[in-house]
Amino acid sequence: MTEPRLLMPQLYDGGSPPALQGGVCDCGHVFFPLQAYGCERCGGHGTRLRPKRLAARGRLVASAVVHLHAGERPAPFVVGSIALDDGPVVRTLLAGTEVSLPPGCRMVGTLVPVTPAQDGTPRVDFRFAPVTGSDLS
Amino acid sequence: MSRTLSDMRPVHVIGIGWHRYQFTSETPYVELGLTAVRAALADAGIPWPAVQTAYVAKALLPMAPGRAMLRHLGATGLEILHVEDASASGSAAFRHACLEVASGASDVVLAMGVDKPARVALAERSTGIPSLADDAIAPFTHFAMLADQYAHRAGATVEDIALVAVKNHRNGSLNPNAQHQKVRSLAEIMGGKAISGAFTSLQCTPVGEGAAAVIVASDDGIRALGVDPARAIQVVASVGRSQRVYEDATRFDALLTGETSGLAFAQSGLTAADLDVVELHDAFTVEELEYVEAMGLCAEGDAVRQLKAGAFDIGGRCAVNPSGGLIAMGHPIGPTGIGQIGEIVLQLRGEAGARQQPGARTGLAHMVGIGAVCYVHILQRPG
Repeated sequence: MTEPRLLMPQLYDGGSPPALQGGVCDCGHVFFPLQAYGCERCGGHGTRLRPKRLAARGRLVASAVVHLHAGERPAPFVVGSIALDDGPVVRTLLAGTEVSLPPGCRMVGTLVPVTPAQDGTPRVDFRFAPVTGSDLS
Repeated sequence: MSRTLSDMRPVHVIGIGWHRYQFTSETPYVELGLTAVRAALADAGIPWPAVQTAYVAKALLPMAPGRAMLRHLGATGLEILHVEDASASGSAAFRHACLEVASGASDVVLAMGVDKPARVALAERSTGIPSLADDAIAPFTHFAMLADQYAHRAGATVEDIALVAVKNHRNGSLNPNAQHQKVRSLAEIMGGKAISGAFTSLQCTPVGEGAAAVIVASDDGIRALGVDPARAIQVVASVGRSQRVYEDATRFDALLTGETSGLAFAQSGLTAADLDVVELHDAFTVEELEYVEAMGLCAEGDAVRQLKAGAFDIGGRCAVNPSGGLIAMGHPIGPTGIGQIGEIVLQLRGEAGARQQPGARTGLAHMVGIGAVCYVHILQRPG
């Protein structure tokens, strides 16, 4: 069986749970996603910005079930805003729930199957899901 | 040394006009815009050649709509400048029209906004920085998550948040320039089409088409043109800001609003307690609750209680969005910030008819735009 390919490998890795590809500036500002243009807090750029792997663990700040959406993504789907234990707030799709979740809920990153590539290679994409008993490691 | 509006010569709004905000129609933008500008000229009682510069706010129309429209008033050769700052385009145009007059560069300047709905791409998606799923988070979903956050933080229910829409639809029902002019019950609002999170369609602004125009002038301009000074409303503060890095990144809209309105209060020497009328960016219900708290119209977490007590009704302590706001008056983008100024001028002149806030003397206009950017203006009538 073909190993699934990451949909956006520049944003996360294939670990379990996956880690997010963030960055840190010499000024201490931690950000996601990684970019090389410059630090939003201090304007530092070049070698002042370095990659930093961010654990995909945090607390839910807010979530919403989207009922109507004009893009290609079929509604309904659930999105959430997660304050990572490592600092930045990340907004993305949620897995493992069809309803909004209580703020404060512990969340963990996970990879879920999405539409295969044109050559048939299976692909996975990053989601946040509520922590269950088996994730408490 | 840098100077603020309050350090320069006085600027007054002397003319206001609209083309009604409405659902998309076959009406060309030229007709929308000319209707608003001619109404503003008539309101000021001045001829078009008196206008020295036109600031044209638009976010959705194609490139350079200004002269193709304004030439039909007579091609006087005036300077024409287009302004785009997302939802706050009209507010930005107004601010720079005021600064041009305050600086002494001109005596009479037009700020107008005109737009028609169109699909435009957001530059944030073209930065080359990838995102996990930003395509899934449309503005209504961004604010649906803020509503979820607000509800938990302030102990509010989804019905409490929807009460903003009940008030603003009621106000809009009294405004002949509003896109929605119908009183709506809480049950109607809650029973509407589900959009995102707790939001139903009547809790979200309808983006339509329309136009709004205001004319600003110096004391010299007012004297030279014989404008009635009793109907001129002074602009006593003008501030534009953009988002910084905040400790609580999720609440940047409210934190930016607090910062910008704070600077406007400092510039004018006024406080939130002085405000009789506020027009603010209520594209989605929860924003009104967030922003009245951020501006200091009430304490943090107290907006629902104040709303229920009628503090923000016309006739209450401070009328918030007496025009109907973005939720009922509508949000054609380019015109919106200009239309807010027009509503405040009507209120401060005592010409707002059924929407009149009794004794209104001081008003504040607030807009945020994608970016995020924020503008706050404070206006005051003489006496």
